[in-house]
Amino acid sequence: MGLMLDIVIVASLIGLSFQSLYARSLFRCILHFVVFGLAMSLVWARLNTPDLAMAEAAIGAGVTGALTMVAFRRLMAISPAQNQSRPSNRSRLALPIALGAGGLVALLGLAVLEAEPVAGLAGMAVMEALPSTGLQNPVTAVLLSFRGYDTLLEISVLLAALLASQAVTQLDDPDPSILTEQPDTPLVGALLAMIVPLSVLVSVHLLKAGSLGTGGAFQAGAVMAGCGVILALSGRLTSSAQPSLLINLGLSIGILSFIGIGLVPLLYGQPLLALPDVWAVYLLESTMMISIALILLLLFTGSISIRRSDG
Amino acid sequence: MSLTETFALAFLFGGSAFFLAGTIGLLRFPDVYCRLHALAKADNTGLCLICAGLAILASDWQVAAILAMIWLIGLLASTVSAHLIARHAYLSGQKPVEARKEP
Repeated sequence: MGLMLDIVIVASLIGLSFQSLYARSLFRCILHFVVFGLAMSLVWARLNTPDLAMAEAAIGAGVTGALTMVAFRRLMAISPAQNQSRPSNRSRLALPIALGAGGLVALLGLAVLEAEPVAGLAGMAVMEALPSTGLQNPVTAVLLSFRGYDTLLEISVLLAALLASQAVTQLDDPDPSILTEQPDTPLVGALLAMIVPLSVLVSVHLLKAGSLGTGGAFQAGAVMAGCGVILALSGRLTSSAQPSLLINLGLSIGILSFIGIGLVPLLYGQPLLALPDVWAVYLLESTMMISIALILLLLFTGSISIRRSDG
Repeated sequence: MSLTETFALAFLFGGSAFFLAGTIGLLRFPDVYCRLHALAKADNTGLCLICAGLAILASDWQVAAILAMIWLIGLLASTVSAHLIARHAYLSGQKPVEARKEP
């Protein structure tokens, strides 16, 4: 039964990836890519990695889907002919490379099946050192206590991506095209009244759950960004060309607090980024959640800042 | 197979049948309004039946409450999104397909 399910998921992954490259129009390609992200999160769930499954569903399918949609919309505004343009012709090397890569993956899979578990792997070291961190979720422990460097770089990359996208957007023209048409229906208000508190609740729960089990700043931030995308789409939040101190503080608070807390141990002669206690983990995760949510939301709106819309 | 498992299986199969019907409607119906009609109604019933089947299988009140919540949120999201899509289609001037006149 489990094997059948796996085969169905893998077959649909291959079909979806083919469709997301070679579908009839660009719009279909995007839709297939979003569904590909959903199928991928199923794969992570089948591989017993709920953290990755959730991150993939929230970021891979949700936020990336919204970003590609809004990019599509802007592309259509510039050159409508792009939607029908076929992807460029396949290179003659494509088939041999695909076959070679497939063969390599199959060989690796066979090797993994044959391999004996080795003592002293990094994963076992993490499980042994887990009690010293005060956390119960090995994923969070790796992300913040053992490999804090990587997480610091990840949040820097996100911020750099936002700055780069802001550098190439036309700043004087906040784009109203992502809004729904006015006046909106009473149903939207009813939906927002339920969805917004629920998604704040879910993201805070994910944040708190990160120390015990599945969850963490990235998933929580993605859920909160999704909430922001809904608010922006329904016209409750509008993009603004005026930089605001509050928004800028929110964007940078994650990386600033990470650097701040990471530098403090140097004063006491301890290594860089050695987190003092569990409270530091909670603090970092909370500030990173705010930054991640705001960065993803501003990537979506493509503006310098956002504000509540008037009226 | 125990009685509860039989019941749960019946619910799950019933739910899958509704999903199948909704999908066929989505693919075969003539215009956007009919498609939304097929999708929103059939899928909500299907989701309800599948959640009920899973709740019976879990036989745990907490899990059942979470599944009920999932169903309610799904209902909310699909209702509003179907309404918005239909509204957008109507406002942008798509005419519903006329019913065929019986001779």
